[in-house]
Formats: sequence, C-alpha cells, structure tokens
Amino acid sequence: MIRLIFAVLLGMIAPSVVMAQDLQSLLQTHQEEVAKPGRRSVGVVLDDLVASGLTEAASFLENWQAREVYVRDEDGLFFYLNDDETQLIDITSGAPSGLADVGLTQVRPNGGVRRAIGTALVQFQLSDPDINRRRGAIEAIARDMQASQLEPLVASIEGEADPGLKVVKERLAGLMRASFGETNEIRIAAIEGMAGDLSVDVRAVLNQILATKRVVATELPDDQNIATVLEPGTDLPMEDAYDILVAADLAKPRTTQNQIKAALTGNIVEGRVGGMAIASLDTFEARAMAYEMLAAAGLVEPLVGDDEVQDAIAVHVIYDVYTEQDTEITEAAAASLDALQTRIAVHQTADLFLDGLSLASIYFLAAIGLAITFGVMGVINMAHGEFIMMGAYTGFVVQQFIPNYTVSIIVALPVAFAITFGAGVLMERTVIRRLYHRPLETLLATFGISIVLQQLAKNIFGTQARPLTSPAWLDGALVFNDIVAISYIRIAIFVLALIFLCLILFILKRTRLGLEVRAVTQNSRMAASMGINPNRINMLTFGLGSGIAGIAGVAIGLYAKVTSEMGADYIVQSFMTVVVGGVGNVWGTLAGAGMIGGLQKVIEWLNPSNTLAAQTYMILFIILFIQFRPKGIVALKGRAAGD
Amino acid sequence: MERTFIARNPSILWFLLGLGLFTLVVTILSEATGNGAISTSFVKTLGKTLMLCLVAIAMDVVWGYCGILSLGHFAFFGIGGYAVGMWLMYARTKEIVVENLSNAVIPATEAEINGAIGVQIFGVVGSSEFPWIWAFADSLFLQLLAVVLVPGLLALVFGWLAFRSRVTGVYLSILTQAMTLALSLYLFQNDSGLRGNNGLSGLQNIPGIGDFNQAQISIGFFWASAFTLGAGYFLFAWVLDGKMGSVIKAIRDDESRVRFLGYHVESYKLFVFTLTAMVAGIAGALYYPQAGIINPAEIAPIASIYLAVWVAIGGRGRLYGAVLGAAFVSLLSSWFTGGGAPDINLGFYIIQWTDWWLVLLGLSFVIVTLFFPCGIGSLFDKLVRRQQ
Repeated sequence: MIRLIFAVLLGMIAPSVVMAQDLQSLLQTHQEEVAKPGRRSVGVVLDDLVASGLTEAASFLENWQAREVYVRDEDGLFFYLNDDETQLIDITSGAPSGLADVGLTQVRPNGGVRRAIGTALVQFQLSDPDINRRRGAIEAIARDMQASQLEPLVASIEGEADPGLKVVKERLAGLMRASFGETNEIRIAAIEGMAGDLSVDVRAVLNQILATKRVVATELPDDQNIATVLEPGTDLPMEDAYDILVAADLAKPRTTQNQIKAALTGNIVEGRVGGMAIASLDTFEARAMAYEMLAAAGLVEPLVGDDEVQDAIAVHVIYDVYTEQDTEITEAAAASLDALQTRIAVHQTADLFLDGLSLASIYFLAAIGLAITFGVMGVINMAHGEFIMMGAYTGFVVQQFIPNYTVSIIVALPVAFAITFGAGVLMERTVIRRLYHRPLETLLATFGISIVLQQLAKNIFGTQARPLTSPAWLDGALVFNDIVAISYIRIAIFVLALIFLCLILFILKRTRLGLEVRAVTQNSRMAASMGINPNRINMLTFGLGSGIAGIAGVAIGLYAKVTSEMGADYIVQSFMTVVVGGVGNVWGTLAGAGMIGGLQKVIEWLNPSNTLAAQTYMILFIILFIQFRPKGIVALKGRAAGD
Repeated sequence: MERTFIARNPSILWFLLGLGLFTLVVTILSEATGNGAISTSFVKTLGKTLMLCLVAIAMDVVWGYCGILSLGHFAFFGIGGYAVGMWLMYARTKEIVVENLSNAVIPATEAEINGAIGVQIFGVVGSSEFPWIWAFADSLFLQLLAVVLVPGLLALVFGWLAFRSRVTGVYLSILTQAMTLALSLYLFQNDSGLRGNNGLSGLQNIPGIGDFNQAQISIGFFWASAFTLGAGYFLFAWVLDGKMGSVIKAIRDDESRVRFLGYHVESYKLFVFTLTAMVAGIAGALYYPQAGIINPAEIAPIASIYLAVWVAIGGRGRLYGAVLGAAFVSLLSSWFTGGGAPDINLGFYIIQWTDWWLVLLGLSFVIVTLFFPCGIGSLFDKLVRRQQ
C-alpha cells in the first residue's frame, strides 16, 4: 500500500522536476554569467548546477572548463561542437542539432573561473562510474581541502563500489572532519582518530589546525586561543621584538645606518656635518655623534635610544595565537601530534636502520672482492675499483644486445664475473706475481693499471654516464608507511650481499680450493711442500676476488650511474671497510661494512643537508678508530696473524 | 769525516749549478727581462714545474729515504696554496672595494668595507659573512706563517697518531689517502668557508706591488721558485747527510732492527713526515699564485698518487731523481694533453694523445715499477760509475 502511494507520488513529482530543471533552461536563467563568466559571478551558477543534481551537468562543466562551449548569437543558447566543428550538439541530449553555420561565440572562462569550475566538478567526479576519475577527484580534494567538499565526499562513500577506494575516501573524510567538522565533538573525535596514522597528510592537517599567528597588544586578551606568550629577551631577541612592534605601528622605526648616512650626506655644510669634518666620519660611532648634532639642531628626527626600545617592549605583550578559535580542538590536536611524534621517532629509527643496512650491503659488495685479494692474499689492488667499473660496463653492453632487462641482468652477472676473473688472472700473472715481496710497489703498479683502465673506458664509452636499467620488477619501493620505505633494488643488493657472504664463506671453509688458499696464505712454502701449487692458487684467488668485484659492479650499476670514474668512488671506502673490519677475515669485512654504512647514515641523519660532511666525519672517525684498534674490529690472533 | 758536506754530496753543486744556469737562460729569454722568446705563460709553467719538483723532493725524502709511502703530501701542498690564496684574494678584493668606495661622500667604515669584501668573496656560495677560518686573512705575515704551520701541525698530529700505534706500510698509505680524501671532501662543501668547489681565484694578481705587469710578476715568481727549490734541495741534502740520514735510511730498510738498536723510530719518522709536509706547504704557496686558481679538486687523492708516480719514475732515494721525474712527467703531460704532440695515424684508427696519454702514462708506470725500480735517476748513477 505504502509502496503504491510512493510510486504515485514519484510519478507526480519526477516529471515536474525534470521539466523545471532542464540543463539548457537552467543555464539560460544565468545566461550572462555562463557566457561571460567572472571569478565573482560564477559561484551562483556553479551552486545551482550542483544543486540541480543533473547528470549532464558534469560533462557540461568539463566542456566549459575546456573552453568547448559555444553560444549561438541569435538566441543565446549553449551548444557543443562535434569533432570537425561542422555540427552543433545539444548540451542536454548530446544529439546533433543543426549545422554550425550560424554565428557562434566561444565561451572563454579565465584561469580563476576554470579553477572554480574544477572544484565544483570534483563533486560530480566523486561518483563517476570510471574509477580513475574517482581516484583523480579524491587526489584533487586531498591536495586542496575545502569545507564545501566534505559533504559530497561523505555522500559518495555509501555508493563506492571499490573497497580500496572506499577506505581512502573514509580516511580523507576523517581528515577533513578534523578541520571542517560541524561540531567540536565531531572534530575532536576525528582528530583523536588520526593519532595512530603516520602519513604526511595527517601531520599536515594537524599542523594546519595548530597554525599560529604572532600578535602584539598592550595586554593579553581573554577571548582568544593563545598558544604561547613570548618573553622578549629570552624567547626572542630584543631587536626582533622591537621590529614586531614597529611592524604593528606601535613604535617608531629605528634609524638604520643607511638612513643615518643619507641624512648626513644631505646636511653637509661647507665640508662639515653637525660640526664634524667629513673625513672623520669613518666609524659608526662618529656618524652617530654627527647625527645627534643634527638632531639637536632640529634638522633630523632623533635616534631611537635603547631606553626607548626597552620601554616600548615593556608596555606590550607579544604572543602567538592559534588561528583555530576553540581551545579544546587545539589541545586535542596538540595531544595527537605529540603522540605521533613518538611513533614517528620510532619509525624514523627503523628507517635509518634500513638505510644503514642497505648502504652497508653496498659497501660490503664493493669490498668483498677486496677482502679476498687484500684481506686474504695481502695484495693491494688499486685497480679493484676499475674491476667494479668493468662489471658495470659489461652489464651495459649486455643490455645493448639483450633488450629484455630481466634476462640481460641474469646473463650479465656470469659474463661480468668471467670478464673480470680473466682480467684479474691476467693481471696476477703479468704484474702482481713479480711484486709479491714489494707491497708498496704493488700499490703503485696497480694504480698505473687503474689509470689505464679508466682512460680506456673513457675512450670506448665516452665521458657521459651510461644507463644500466633495472628490470621493471625491481622498480618502486617496499613502502611500510610514509616514513619507512626501502626500494626493491636496495633489497636486491642486500640479498646479493648475503648470497656472496655465504658463497665466500663456503668456498673458503668448505672446499678444497678454500683449504689450499688458506694454506698458501698462511705459509706458502710449507703448502708447496705439501704438494699445493702456490702460483696456481694465488692466481685463482686473485681471479675470484676480481670476479666478485665484477658482479658487484653490475649490482652497483643498477642504482648508481655507470661512468669510467665510478670505481674510484668506491676504492678508498672499500679499503677502509677491509681495514676497519680486520684484514684476513670475511666476517671482519662484514663488520666493517656494517659499521661504516650505519655510522655514515647516522651522521647524515644528524646533518641531513650535507652528505659531503657526513663522509668527511666518517673518514676522520675511521682514522681515529684505527689508532685504537690498528688490526680492525675482528683481529686475527696467533699464527694466522702473520706478524 | 775529513771531507766537507759539499764534498760528500757532489750532486748538490751540480744541481745548484744546473738550476742557476736554467734560471739564467729563462731570464734571458723571458718577456720581462730578455728577448721574449719564452712567453709569459710558459715562464709560469716552468715556475710551477719547479715547485712540483720541490714537493716531489719532499715526497722522495719521506718515501724514498724513510720508506713511508704517504699519499697525503699533495694535500699539504694544497693547504699551503689555500693559506697564501686567502691573503691574496682578501687583499686584492680589499683594494678593489676601497677603490670603489673612495668616491662616496662620507668615508666608509671598517665594517662597511669588510661587508663589501665579504659579499665579493663569498657571494658565489650564497653568503657574505667571513668564516672564522679567514680571521687572519688580512695579515700577509700570519698567512705566510700558516703556509708552514698548518701543514706542519696537521702532519704532526696525524703522524703522531699513526706512528704511535705502529701503522706502517700499505695501511699507512691507505690512511694518508683517507686523510686526503676527507680534506678534499670537506673543502668541496660550500660551508667549509673556502668557497666550496669554486675554490680561490684571481691569485695571479698580486696586491700592493704597484704596476708590475704579469710578465714581470711571472719572472719574479720564477726566481723565487728557483731559489726555494735550491734551498729545499740543500736543506734535504743536509738533513739526509750524516748520522741522522743513515738512521732515516735504516728505518726504510728494516724498521724493527733500528728500533732494537735503541733508536726512537717514531720520532725520526715524525720529524721527516712533518718537515716534508711543511716544505710541501711552501711549494704550494709558491705554485698557486702562478697557477692563478686553486680548488678542492687539486687536493683529491689522485694528485698525491701522481706525486708518487713522478718520484717513482724519476727514481726513489735520489733527490735529483725526484726533480727529474716531476719535471719530466709534468712537462711531458702538459705537452701531450695540451695538444702539442702530433696524432699518430694507424690507418684504421687515429691515436689522439689527449685521449691516450693517460694510457701511455699508466703503462709506462707499470713498466717502470716492474723493470726499472730505480727510475730515470739510475741512468745518472750508471754514467757516474762508468766515469769512475
């Protein structure tokens, strides 16, 4: 029965609504404002359009904003044009309605109007069938929150089909309620609801609620929400306090040195000012004296003395006042923000830890090859950095032949190993073998090789940085929240570093080769008498260390730029890592990399503007550290220590 | 011990004679004092080369004689350059500022002049305040003192820390390299107070000497460089002569044995390290006014390694070897990189020396290290031995 009545009532009402609110006729009621829109007048039109609830209104707003609406000059009706601008299109039905051969005027709203249209449009887009447009509308609201958008946003939550987007909408509505909620209870509830959220926009909303304005008055008002009362002299310097008074027209501005100078220049009489010779005016004190003379003679305004400044400040109070009037709300926001700060600190520490870990794994990767050649064999290889560079360039060259990034990286890793292994073996046989008893000269000879390799790379690949593109699945970052995030590449490098740690430990501790390597490094002649060929072992060990540098090069090339000088950036750090960690021990290298990487991030965090300074202090720290533990963190003891 | 110091070291006489002759020839051929066969810029290059020879001698003493492969001596060289460069830049800017302000009706105050100088010097790094490091920049005497004291003090502290904890050999090399890297990274910052990577420039203009032109200034600096090189050579020859020199060389050959004989090895090493650092500072102070500009890239670790390269190619353990190496390699290097050397056409590829010079240098360096550990200097030794 009730249903029947409803149906009848609807049948009666609906046609009349449509009749009254046809889009064209609605627009005709505001013909002037639509055809020649201005920033002021457009508001009425937009309000009516939004209130009408017409579905065509959204597309009209879009076209209006895009300057695609035309007025027929003879009757002032609005039309769109079809693509080749030959046909008029009805704005209500979207059907062609006659040829565009009559006088037409394009409607050209200016920037301000188009922005206003955009805001109104958002409310339509919130319920658009296309999810991307809904998402766009939400982002637009989040960028620039306005009280008027809260209601349409809340209204659209009910009908939202996508559960993910629904959550986003509810969250945004919560944020907006904190600022624009109707009653204090709603706002406070919203503010308290945000306490656990670490996102940047939550903090932005809270900070906006807590925004203050600096005010000066003769006495504190009772009716305002005062944040802090500033004590001149302790909270802010006297000069600044006085400047605030001056800015508020409550005190006389002080005469600046430039004004004094100008006044003196203007009052020169026969080469003297205020009875003083011009040449004597080369100190501020002398100028002030001359100025006082002029003031005494009534020629200029007297200077504002220190006493006057003190007195002026003493009779005024300077305080910060919240733009938000309600004390309860500011208190709730401050409490929420305080609670957030603690959580943020915890998460920042976690983020710092992740950063340090990833930097440490990069240092570890760069240094692990060196830990073998330098740490185990005791050979200073200054060309180690260039092996890293060779690995990176190998990756680049492989990518030129294999367009699929995933496959090319998988191919590049063993190829880089093979190439640098070969280069290492070649270098060991031709140069290093002859210098085993002259370590300082090894340093110089390998440095010569590093110059050669660098310059060759420059000659072949040019001086500009070459890209080594990572596969798509390594793009982006693992985001925990707005504070803690780590890019997938860094995770991959971390994993790679772990794999290498295990691999090298395995080779050195569990294989025949590792046994022979350890035998040869501990006592080469004794090992030889046991039937081990030290030459062969040295060659293989050096090749292994170099090959790992090549693989590290591919990994480093993925996130850093590939240039002929990239090796030089890592060589000093790598040596530091090995020396700090303790020579002759893979675990030491791990400890060294962990310490250097972690500390560098901590120093960077203390002084975020300046990574150069962080590196400087890091190196100074290492130099000092070596004073106290010359053998590194993990020092070998007993016979293995060598000396 | 009946023979005199000079008689024991005949190379000093030969060296000073050669240096004197060279100075005379350059003077006669220069633009300011002679017929102008040598251009002013080449006189500057020669003057700079003399100072590179001096820092190479210092490097030779610390490495070739004492066995400490320091990869930080070019940093001391750079500090000397910065110290004198600060005065040059400050005084020169002050001259210009005072000149500009002299037309003002009311004479400028001290603070106004300093402010204007600050804007001129530190405008490039977005500042106008004088950092504390410039506190003595207006005093030539104090800055000249800094040329010697700052490198000396740095070397003293660093050396004391390093030698005390018995850091030797390659570890020490890496540590000195780290020190150099730290210094250059520090100077690269804009808020280091030394104009970041802009460095100090306009150092070729010497304030307060009236209207000498660049040709005259360059020959003046050349004489000063030649004199300083001669004095430095003499100083080091004297230090290395006699018992002290023997101890220093003994430390190079077997440090433990010298220690067991009762010598305090650390003191000797510290003395050599600090003294050579001071001489390097002086060399830098004379080098950079001739170069005209100094920036942190000059101090980068690679420069110190090149210094070792020169000494190795010249021949370690001989003072004249270091001079030969530095002069030979640096002049050859500027000839090759300056486009002076003709390209070689191989038919399928043209070797352009600007691209391939470093390859040649690196290779020859490997070969010298492997096969001629005594460098060019050893040729002289053979010559002398044959005569005898």
